[in-house]
Amino acid sequence: MVYVKWVFLGTFWVLVAAFFHYTLPQHDIARITDTYEKRVDFGENSLFWSSPDIGNATTVANRDVFFIQSFRGNGKPMIYRNEDTGWGWPPYFKFDTSNLQAEAADLISKKSAVNAQWVVVRHYGWRNEFMSIYPNAISVWAVDNPDVRIIPWMNIIILTIFAALVWGITVRWKRFRRNRVDPFVDEYTDGWG
Amino acid sequence: MMQLARLLIFGFLFLSLVYVVVSLWSRSVRAAKLRSEWIGSGQPGDKESFVQGGLKEYDGSIRRKLILLVYIVPVAIVGTIIYMTNFM
Repeated sequence: MVYVKWVFLGTFWVLVAAFFHYTLPQHDIARITDTYEKRVDFGENSLFWSSPDIGNATTVANRDVFFIQSFRGNGKPMIYRNEDTGWGWPPYFKFDTSNLQAEAADLISKKSAVNAQWVVVRHYGWRNEFMSIYPNAISVWAVDNPDVRIIPWMNIIILTIFAALVWGITVRWKRFRRNRVDPFVDEYTDGWG
Repeated sequence: MMQLARLLIFGFLFLSLVYVVVSLWSRSVRAAKLRSEWIGSGQPGDKESFVQGGLKEYDGSIRRKLILLVYIVPVAIVGTIIYMTNFM
């Protein structure tokens, strides 16, 4: 029985970690090499696409999506999608997709460039080649060199609050169990050995 | 528009729930404090009327109105995020 408990708790916390890893902002240092748009027919991966530009029809089966193509500081390619999150989840409230595409296109810098233009891409989400899912870029800004250090203040604040919440609930649950549940169970199982 | 309406409606319902719970909790904490204050100050007069009087004072207090921050803070946070994401 003790294994059931640990498997259950382990699964729960892995899901929580995955949820935060997908939803919280992350920063990549990259070199944008191209921006384009592509028609996407949403299938099994439809969960990992966001909403159409705010104000447009929301019930369409397919639409054009902006993409930003880049190479990261470690030389590996990374493709971002660039979609509105609108008023929905995750709560980035991003409406400026077209502006972001213009900024990204302005910062293009190929391998052959004399001075590479590095940028920071703030994004959320995952890249997965097997399901064709892409992280959603939130904003880009230029940096002078690829070694800049970015402190994720937002993540620190959110995870600290979450940890405090979990701790508070755990303490109260344990107290409740000790004071109310355990005496009750003891009373009825008295003498069971 | 549907997305915004959904956010506003469910957000309002959720925050109202939080508001009600916090209000009841704050009031009960205040009542408990008043009861121990009554004992601490040598049990002056009737306990119930002492607690009722204290709660009446609490009803008009700034502390109670501060619970309205339950609505104001999330709206301010959303406004800040919108500004930071789209206009910075």
